[in-house]
Amino acid sequence: MLKPILLVEDDARDLELTLVALERSQLANDVITVRDGAQALDYLLREGTYAGRTAGNPAVILLDLKLPKVNGLEVLQAVRASEALRAIPVVMLTSSHEESDVLRSYELGVNAYVVKPVDFKQFVAAIADLGIFWAVLNEPPPGSAKVQRRYE
Amino acid sequence: MTQPTRLDLAACASEPIRVPGAIQPHGWMVALGADDLQLLAYSENWRDLVGDADLPASLAALLPALLTPVQPKLRGLPDTVGPAAIGSVSVAGRRLDMIAHRSAARVFVEFEPAVPDDGLRAPLYTLVRQFVPLLQQATSVEALCALAAEEIQRLTGFGRTLVYRFDAEGHGEVLAETIEPGYESYAGHRFPASDVPAQARELYLQNRIRLIASADYVPVPLRSTVPDAAQAPLDLSFAALRSVSPVHLEYMRNMGTAASMSVSVVVRGRLWGLISCHDHAPRFVSFQTRVACEHLGQLLSLQIEAKEDNAEVADRLELRRITLDLVSQLTDSDATLQQLVREPASLLRIARAGGAAVVLDESCWMVGKTPPPPEVLRLAQWLASRIGDVFHTDRLPEAYPAAGAFAEAGCGVLAVSISKVHRHLLIWFRPEMVQTIEWAGDPRKQPVERDGQLHPRRSFATWREQVRGRSLAWRGGEVAAALELRQALVGIVLRRAEELAELAGELGRVNKELEAFSYSVSHDLRAPMRHIAGYVDLVLELEGGALSERTRRYLDHVKGAAKFAGELVDALLDFSRMGRAALKPAEVDLDGLVHDLVQQLSSEHADRRIEWHIEQPLPRLWADPVFLQMAARNLIGNAVKYTRGRDPAVIRIRGAGNDRQDGFEVADNGVGFSMKYANKLFGVFQRLHTAEEFEGSGIGLANVRRVVERHGGSVSARGEPDVGAAFTILLPRSPSTGVLSNPVPPGGKL
Repeated sequence: MLKPILLVEDDARDLELTLVALERSQLANDVITVRDGAQALDYLLREGTYAGRTAGNPAVILLDLKLPKVNGLEVLQAVRASEALRAIPVVMLTSSHEESDVLRSYELGVNAYVVKPVDFKQFVAAIADLGIFWAVLNEPPPGSAKVQRRYE
Repeated sequence: MTQPTRLDLAACASEPIRVPGAIQPHGWMVALGADDLQLLAYSENWRDLVGDADLPASLAALLPALLTPVQPKLRGLPDTVGPAAIGSVSVAGRRLDMIAHRSAARVFVEFEPAVPDDGLRAPLYTLVRQFVPLLQQATSVEALCALAAEEIQRLTGFGRTLVYRFDAEGHGEVLAETIEPGYESYAGHRFPASDVPAQARELYLQNRIRLIASADYVPVPLRSTVPDAAQAPLDLSFAALRSVSPVHLEYMRNMGTAASMSVSVVVRGRLWGLISCHDHAPRFVSFQTRVACEHLGQLLSLQIEAKEDNAEVADRLELRRITLDLVSQLTDSDATLQQLVREPASLLRIARAGGAAVVLDESCWMVGKTPPPPEVLRLAQWLASRIGDVFHTDRLPEAYPAAGAFAEAGCGVLAVSISKVHRHLLIWFRPEMVQTIEWAGDPRKQPVERDGQLHPRRSFATWREQVRGRSLAWRGGEVAAALELRQALVGIVLRRAEELAELAGELGRVNKELEAFSYSVSHDLRAPMRHIAGYVDLVLELEGGALSERTRRYLDHVKGAAKFAGELVDALLDFSRMGRAALKPAEVDLDGLVHDLVQQLSSEHADRRIEWHIEQPLPRLWADPVFLQMAARNLIGNAVKYTRGRDPAVIRIRGAGNDRQDGFEVADNGVGFSMKYANKLFGVFQRLHTAEEFEGSGIGLANVRRVVERHGGSVSARGEPDVGAAFTILLPRSPSTGVLSNPVPPGGKL
C-alpha cells in the first residue's frame, strides 16, 4: 500500500514526537519514515533497499534540515532536479530559524518552512496542521496518493 | 616691504669686466705666447720706464734680459690659476717684483714695485704661526671673522676692514669690522646685493683677491703687437693689475674710499662672503702680503666650513633626539597623531616654532601660539593642494593673503603631510618678526644711467628699513627635522594600518567561528529542550492521574526549566545575530508596528486588564524593520511583564525626539526599579528582580541596546521602585530628512 507522507528524520526522539503528533491527527498510519537523506532519495527514486517498492510519489515530504550523509537542503535540491519528483510538496522541518537556511530553502523551491516549537502542545498543533493541509486538503499532483480521512 | 626695482643691473652684468683691455697704473704688464714666449701685448705705461721711442722695439730689446732667467718658470706655469712670484728685476733703476700666470695659451707677466722690507718679513710665516692657533680657539663664526679682520688690518694697514656674509638674497651683512680712527663704522650694516653684480661674484670665486690701489687711477691701455686686430681680447680674470669697472671706481669715490682690497671667503664651493678693506688714501699691498691675505681667506673659509658643519651636526643630533622622543612616545601609546600635542615643548622645539597644529581632516589640536582653529583648518585646506611632503615659507601673507589676519601668530609656516589620502598635516607656525635693517645706503637706489653712462649710488649713509609680513626663515636643519619626523610618522601610521588590517582579519575569523557556534547552538540546543518539554507533557498526559502531587510539581518544574532554556537560546541567538547581520534601514511606520505588537500581547494576556494609551500618530523612524520590531517587542513585552499584579496595568507609548533624533517612549506603572541600578539595566544577563518574581532571560534590554546602538541611536531608562518604569529609544533621523525613501505603506506589515 502506498504511504502518502514521507517523514525524513534522523533524531529518534523527534521522530517519536512527530509520530505522536501525527497519530493525534489520525495520520500516523499514512507515514513512511526514513532516517537520513540518502535513504530518502533511495525511497523516492526506488533504488537500493527500496528498489522493489510500488511506484508512486508521497503526497508530501516532511524533511528535517540537519541530516547525516545527505542533508535536507541536498535532498530538496535532488527532488527539484528530478523530472519525476519535482512536483512533490516539500515541507522543511527544523529546529532553527537561521535566516540563511530559510532563504536557501526557498531558493531551492521549498513549499513551506516550519520551525519546530519548543512547547509540546504547539508542536503537536503545528505537525497536525501540516499533515492535514498537505496530505489531506491539498490536491496533490498526479501520481501521488491522497490520504482518506477515516474518521470523518 | 620696499622692493628695489630691478631694471638695474643689466648694464653692469654686460660690462666686460674680464677683458677691460687696460690695467691699473701701479704696475706694468706684458702678454706672451705660451709656446714661443713672443710678445703679444704690453701696457702703454712701459713708456714711463723705457722711453717714448718705438715701444714695441724697445720692449723687444729689453724683455729677453728680463725673462730669459725665468724662462723655465714661465714655461712650467699651470693653466688658469692665480699669479705666482717668479723673481724680481731691476728696470731703469727700479726694483720690480715679477708675477706671472698662464691663461688661454698666453703667459701674462706683471711687474709691480718691490716694497722695501717693512719688518713683516715672510708674512705667510707669521700668519701661520700667530693666526692659525687663534682661529682654532674661536668659538663662533663671528669670532672667526673678527680675528680675520684684525689680522688683515695688521698685515695690510687698511683703515677699515670688514668681514661680511651674503644672505640668501645676496645682501651683505657685516659680521666683523676693524677700523682706525676717522673711519665710519659699518658694523651690523647690510650692503645691498646690487653692490656686487652677479658676474663680479663669479669672478670673486675664481680669483680670490683683488686690489685697487687708487680709486682715482687712469687706466693704462694694453697694446697688441700682432697686426691682426682679430686676435681674441686678453682675458685678465687672473691678472692682479686688471683694470676694474669705472662704475665701481665711482662707487668707491662716492663711499670716500681711495683704495680697496677684497679677499673672497668661499665655503663649500660658494661665495660665502668677502673680507673687504678700504682706505681713505691710495694704498699698495705687495704681492707677498697679498698671498698671505689670500691664504688667510682660505684658512677662514675652512674654519667657517668646519664651524658651520659642527653646528649643523650638533643641531641635527639634537633634533634627531627630539624626533626619536616624539616618535617613541607615539609608538608607546595606542593613540594617534594628536598625541603629538601632549609633548608641546618637543613638538615646538623640533622646528623652533612658536606654535604647532596637528590637523586630521576636519579636526585640529594645537599647542603654543597659533591662529584660531577655523583659520588653521582653512589654511590646512589651502596647504593640502600645495604640499608634497613638505611646504615652508617665512612670508605666508604674500602667498596666502588671509594670513594677514593672524600675522602675529603665523607669518611663517612649515607643514608636512602625513597621508596622501587624508588631510593629515602637521603645521608649525612662526610669528611675524618686524625687522629693522640698517643698510649702508638705501638699497632702493640702484646704479643709474646718466649721460649715457652708468653711475652707482652716491649715498652710503645708514638707511633704516622696516621689514614686515615675515617670520624668521626656516633653516635647512629644521625642514630636514620636520621631514624626518614625517617619515617616522608615516611609518607608524602605515604600521598601525597593517595592525588594524590584521586585527580585522582576526575579528573576521572569530566572527565566523561565533556564527558557526550560534548556528550549532540553535539547532543542537533547541532540540533537547523541545524533547524534554515534549516528553514531560506526554508523561503528564498519559500518567498524570497516577502521579503523586509532588511528582507532578517536579515535572512542572522540569517543563518550565526546559521552556526557559529554549527561550534563552532564542534570545542569545537574536543577540548574536544583531552583532553580525547587516542593517537594512528603511522608513518604518511605528504606528503599524506598535499596533501589531499590542494586539499580539493583549491576546496573550487576555486574562489581564491592561490600559493602553498610545499617542497617535507615532513618528516614522529610519531603522531596520526587523531589528526595530525586536526592540519594540522587548520594551512593550517588559512593560506587560513588570505590570503583572497591577489592576489595571497602565502602559503608555508615545513619540519622543529632538532636533536630530526621532524615537518613542514606553512607560508603565509596574514594579519599576531604583535609579541606582539604571546603568546595569542594559547589560547582558543583568536582572534586577529574582527569577521567581519575573521570569526572563536577562538579555532583553541588552538586545534593545544593541539594536539601538547599531543604528547609532541611544536608549535611556527612568524608574522608581513600585511606581513604574519608562524606556526611551532615540534613533538618528533619516539621512534624506523628510524624504520617504523606500517607504513602508501606512499600517503595512514588516
